[in-house]
Amino acid sequence: MSEPVIELQGLQHRYDTDLVLRDVDLSIGEGEIFGFLGHNGAGKTTAMNILTTLLEPTGGTATICGYDVVTDRREVTRLIGYLPADVRMYGHMSAAENLEFLAKLSGVPDARAAARETLEYLGCADLAKRRVGTFSTGMRQRIGIAQAIVHRPHVLFLDEPTSGLDPMGVRQLRETVLQLNRDLGMTVFMNTHQLNEVSKVCTTIGVLNHGELIYNDSIEATMRRFPDEASLEDIYVRVGDLAS
Amino acid sequence: MIGTIASQQSLLLRRQHVALVGLITMLAVTAIAGVLGWSSHHTIVRVFDQAVRLQAAAGQPAPPNPFLLKPNLSLLSNMVVYIPLIGALLALVVGHLSMVDDQSKGMGRLLFTRQVTRTQYALGKVLAATRFLALTLVGCGVVSIVALLAVNRTLSPSDLGRLTGFYVLSWSYLAVFVLVGILTALLTRRRSLALLSAIGVWLVITFVVPQFTSGLRPTQSLNPLTEPAGTSQAFFRVTQHAQPLSIVEQYKTAAGNILGTSPTSPTTETVLTIVPTLIAGFGLLVLVLWRIQRHDYARSASDE
Repeated sequence: MSEPVIELQGLQHRYDTDLVLRDVDLSIGEGEIFGFLGHNGAGKTTAMNILTTLLEPTGGTATICGYDVVTDRREVTRLIGYLPADVRMYGHMSAAENLEFLAKLSGVPDARAAARETLEYLGCADLAKRRVGTFSTGMRQRIGIAQAIVHRPHVLFLDEPTSGLDPMGVRQLRETVLQLNRDLGMTVFMNTHQLNEVSKVCTTIGVLNHGELIYNDSIEATMRRFPDEASLEDIYVRVGDLAS
Repeated sequence: MIGTIASQQSLLLRRQHVALVGLITMLAVTAIAGVLGWSSHHTIVRVFDQAVRLQAAAGQPAPPNPFLLKPNLSLLSNMVVYIPLIGALLALVVGHLSMVDDQSKGMGRLLFTRQVTRTQYALGKVLAATRFLALTLVGCGVVSIVALLAVNRTLSPSDLGRLTGFYVLSWSYLAVFVLVGILTALLTRRRSLALLSAIGVWLVITFVVPQFTSGLRPTQSLNPLTEPAGTSQAFFRVTQHAQPLSIVEQYKTAAGNILGTSPTSPTTETVLTIVPTLIAGFGLLVLVLWRIQRHDYARSASDE
């Protein structure tokens, strides 16, 4: 495997008495598209919150490109882009204004140019001057991707990126993720329920079950390992059965 | 980063109608204060002129014009009441809006995965809200100057200095309520509860604390008979020493001194009356900075 970009070692998180992440060890290499799978409440979003510096783990360590997410927060935030689930931005501001503001907070020197270029790159320059409050879910998601990459991060975190999108929106998002990985060499970490998307986009997968990482391997190796299963969905169910 | 947050928040405040309505209200009440001042001036001068004519007809000397005895800025005496009532409510709303919009949209997840720190974010929000109030008060100041010139015809440099002092004092008083609005938004999860809590704090500061710290015995104010000595006497003897804690009373005293509408106090005494407001403002700022470090910004958007 290539040099690890994301590394978790014995990662734990506890909400009061509830242990939601249990000693998770995970390593994701440069340029990979990693699909993080798991049932609702498995701890996927908690793990992503820790990796994006929003939450401090109660045990273990997490690093991005060798920088600790707790002690080297400034370096980590320079390297990551994040698209949360149910992204909302300032409705009273236009798409370009939102992007420019967020680019400035990422320390981009010419934030206006970065916002314009990003919108053009994603093919949504027509949305630049429209207020975000008037956008549909699909449009919001495209602007959400734009804000996540406006500062050209090294690692892109996507939390349930396809939720609420219509089939065209899902396809468009899939193509965008592949394009970002191919053109800009971004490593992508994606929380998702959409197994169909994972099989089309991801290079490696990890399965989280009640806070425990029960499976982690490349898509090819996974398919080889479970030759009798017809789809990733079947494999997911099988992995869950094996774990329990 | 602080400047970026402040500029963006200022843009939002400009585009939010609530803040605009607050601004217009403040300008309107300043104009009303001016009109009321002008109206009373006009009425008294008319009565005085009539009295002068009657006295002259009776061959008696005319009494002195009562308005010559009043300071020019007394025209704005109503502002000393409007600022703690309407201005403080506007400040609460501005502080509240500065925080709750980001929280209800789950914006923290986009903001704090970037280079900005929570301290910079909080200071940017405070800067934007207090700058908005400063601009509002500059507008009120302009309306006040127009009203003063309309009635008195002239405005001396001394009066201009006092007027500036009055609005600087008002700004520092209102900044306390901006911080109350921000803090309650950080302490409560629901935006409606945050606003209600902020209004609750405003009610306590404006109406309850002055009652407790005035040293007035409620039974005596209703009953002209001397209250028999009892345990309540001790309570009111103690609470009257707590008057500096009532920042609204301190504000009114300082504002009255600056405008010249209350018996003149030495400058040092006026400055001392401002100290509790400054301490309250500083204390609230420290609380805001402390609370924001612990606030859960990992939470997603809410539909409230």
